[in-house]
Amino acid sequence: MIGLVIIAAIAALAFAAINFYGMKRKDPGNEEMQTIAEAIQEGAGAFLRLEYSIIAKVVVLIAVILLVVVSWTGAVSFVIGALMSASAGWIGMNIATISNVRVSNEARTTRSIGKTLRVAFQGGSVMGLCVGGFALLGLVIVYLVFGVLMKQATPEHLVFHKNWLGISDIPFTMTVSSYALGCSIIAMFNRVGGGIYTKAADMGADLVGKTEAGIPEDDPRNPATIADNVGDNVGDVAGLGSDLLESYVGALVSATILAAYTYFANQHADILITTSLISKLIYLPLIIAAVGLISSMVGILFLLVKKVSKDPHKELNMATFVGAGLTIISSGVAVYLTLKGENVAAIGFNLGALSPWVCAVLGIVSGIVIGQLAEYYTSYDYKPTQKIAASSQEGAALTITQGMSVGMISVIAPVLILGICIIAANSVAGLYGVAMAAIGMLSFVTVTVSVDTYGPIADNAGGISEMAKLHPEVREITDELDAVGNTTAAIGKGFAIGSAALAALSLFASYLYAQAGESASNGIELILNMVNTLTLVGALVGAALPYLFSGILIEAVANAARKMVQEVRRQFKADPGIIQGTSKPDYKTCISISSAGALKEMKFPALLSVATPLVTGFLFGAEFVGGLLIGTTLSSIMLALYTANAGGAWDNGKKYIEHGHFGGKGSDAHKAAVVGDTVGDPLKDTVGPSLDILIKIMSIISLISVSIFSKYNLFSFLFK
Amino acid sequence: MIHYYFIFSPNEALIASQLGPKEFGMYMAQGSKKGAAEQLMFSEISGGFGDHFDWAYAEENCINHSDGRPKHSLYLSIYRVLEHIPLDAFMMTYLVTKDGRTLSLDQEKYSSPANWTGFALYKELCPVPPLIVSSLQPKELGQHIVGGSAKKITVPALIFTDIQVIDFEDMENSGNVGRMYDRNLDHLKECIASLESGKGKKTKTVDRSFNSKFSYQIIDNGIYVVKGEEIIFFRMPSHEVLRETAYDWARSANIF
Repeated sequence: MIGLVIIAAIAALAFAAINFYGMKRKDPGNEEMQTIAEAIQEGAGAFLRLEYSIIAKVVVLIAVILLVVVSWTGAVSFVIGALMSASAGWIGMNIATISNVRVSNEARTTRSIGKTLRVAFQGGSVMGLCVGGFALLGLVIVYLVFGVLMKQATPEHLVFHKNWLGISDIPFTMTVSSYALGCSIIAMFNRVGGGIYTKAADMGADLVGKTEAGIPEDDPRNPATIADNVGDNVGDVAGLGSDLLESYVGALVSATILAAYTYFANQHADILITTSLISKLIYLPLIIAAVGLISSMVGILFLLVKKVSKDPHKELNMATFVGAGLTIISSGVAVYLTLKGENVAAIGFNLGALSPWVCAVLGIVSGIVIGQLAEYYTSYDYKPTQKIAASSQEGAALTITQGMSVGMISVIAPVLILGICIIAANSVAGLYGVAMAAIGMLSFVTVTVSVDTYGPIADNAGGISEMAKLHPEVREITDELDAVGNTTAAIGKGFAIGSAALAALSLFASYLYAQAGESASNGIELILNMVNTLTLVGALVGAALPYLFSGILIEAVANAARKMVQEVRRQFKADPGIIQGTSKPDYKTCISISSAGALKEMKFPALLSVATPLVTGFLFGAEFVGGLLIGTTLSSIMLALYTANAGGAWDNGKKYIEHGHFGGKGSDAHKAAVVGDTVGDPLKDTVGPSLDILIKIMSIISLISVSIFSKYNLFSFLFK
Repeated sequence: MIHYYFIFSPNEALIASQLGPKEFGMYMAQGSKKGAAEQLMFSEISGGFGDHFDWAYAEENCINHSDGRPKHSLYLSIYRVLEHIPLDAFMMTYLVTKDGRTLSLDQEKYSSPANWTGFALYKELCPVPPLIVSSLQPKELGQHIVGGSAKKITVPALIFTDIQVIDFEDMENSGNVGRMYDRNLDHLKECIASLESGKGKKTKTVDRSFNSKFSYQIIDNGIYVVKGEEIIFFRMPSHEVLRETAYDWARSANIF
């Protein structure tokens, strides 16, 4: 079966390469368009190079720590994970900056929304295929080299080993956790750095250009407009890609780790579990990922070859549903063929060989429902967002109040869906089932990332069409595609949060196994005792942590945006020719401000997420960190849903008014809605996505280090 | 070459300039150093008529700067300008957005509005700025105010525009009308009801000073200039025409 996984990964990357070069061969349009596109490409490339140079140092540092404290296999896996994630982000960002101008040109030459949609989706598909392909390729390398060749994944090696520091762990769980950590580190920096960049540029461009000078969106006279378009690529493409790659890997790895710990615990508790079954449970996540990847490729191909209608939302949904539908069917076959004949009842699989598949389907269905709920709360086709628009008639204060209300109310339904999914999956296949639900939700991530990446590409294409002053019909086509992209982004965020929650829960269960250590062999109950004051205080601190993290991020965006506002004002004042259209603005200075702001401000929140479980672990021990993880996970899920949905609803509330409701553009309602949108910008595009990564990175760091701080911590040293 | 521009909104002024209309519009909206951002409307007029304005002063002083730059603005008058300009001096009218983009309106022969519903909202632009509702058609309204039949409420000449009227029962689907209907809708409805009853006056003032709420989005048929018995008319292009010929201006004007 591993052959299928290798073929799927290579096929995805080959498909990505075909689409990449196919896109490059397309006509990039006239000279004006190419000049604008080059400026965006240059700015995005420069930022990512600077960002990666900082990340590289952090990666080397962590690799050395893993090498010394855990194992060399962990260090190498970590570097592989970081490389895979960074590659996906880099290629995705590159294809987005190549595609944007070609999408604009397709609209210019064909005046067809369907054909333009196809080109935008082709660009997005490169990112989607790279996410699926690189994630799986890296995992296959880790499985083959460390699991098969070094036999870490063979059942007889799924036991606790002591390293030179006297710290014991199951080597294969550490190896795959380290791989996931590599992906998480890149995701955290890309999301936080990209999120700060994109919103600083966006807010700077809007606050002075649109509000003060009265110039329209994406007007080339606005000095921050190129930085704004660069931000779409570094934040919404590179950030989003590495974020979902990390979620995908986190889900796959959590199932593998759980299988290993389950085997170890059950084996020593005299529960009959065969070596053949445990091998299959360890490889099953990869197999489901492989068939999901192949199904996603079919979904992508479906949209690329068919005659595309004039309804972009329907077409994108169709590609997603084809991918999801085929994944359900193919994963059912794959799971059945893998587990048939095994005594799965012995490990608590209550629906026979298809138990993991049922859980995966639960995850897929939950993901789709959560996505639809996100759409309901954030799309202006529905009441919640329309109510925000209506409230704007009474001023900015009520816009904010109504948006907060929508955001808060929107939390309960997806949480209930997640709760039902978790309970059902656990009933069908235990904690392994919960991990399978996370995998199911992300099994067609390739097609969902393709759809998500299409959004910023269309957004950029709209910017280029505007700046190059293309025919209104062209701008209307790219605007319509951009509007659909906003909806797909909201749905994508729902998926990201839901899958992060499930993956974090699985990783948390693994944490408890790891905390129990070799005593798990006695059939230990996995209990987190909330009456234990260390655990309780850990939970309290953990619940507060996302607020601290979010506050730092919002302040970071505000700091960078403030500098951008000052620069745009300075340029307008220093050279009146800019606004008169007789001289060109200094785009590069604005790009530098966003870059410098993002690079400076991203370090602290990123390091906070890595350092908190380590520092608290070495101070207060594993029970405190257990509470910390629960607190952070619960609080982050709520806050991420709230910020993503409130921000999305504020944004689309403004758009609803701009479409000619409640007075439309220029009305008092519009002014109030612009305030709401600006408040929501850093919430939905910086805070929300970064919280997804926060909970996973903390879970993985804790999982890797629990065996160390269980043994060495200040609290134990002083009081026990 | 000297151009003569008559700014009629937000304030009256007659200005001589060596700039073409678009450059002049940009200069007046954005300034060169003040960092101002202001919407304005003006007409280009043929100079040299009558002896109220000092044309010789303009000829003498509206010349290049010593470094060769053109003279941007030379004010000839800032008070009671409209009443001294004959209608046949009006050439084109220009609408300038806050960010300095200019739309030119051609002069057309006046005809009664095709979409007449029995009343209209009018925004007076010069020399006084109220918003009124009237059962009179544009030409009759102009003659009513200029001709003195409005008794004490009279001016020697008048520039005004008619305003789009939306469905007041469906404010959610108002269209892009800006701030026009944001406040005091009940008062507006009462004014209209009073006119429609046919028992009261022919015109009623809705708002004495309406400049802050006025935007180009709500101009209906166009801009009218009335003096004595005569009326001239500058037609506002349809959205279709704007989309094809002045898309960037329309985006700056929040129409698209």
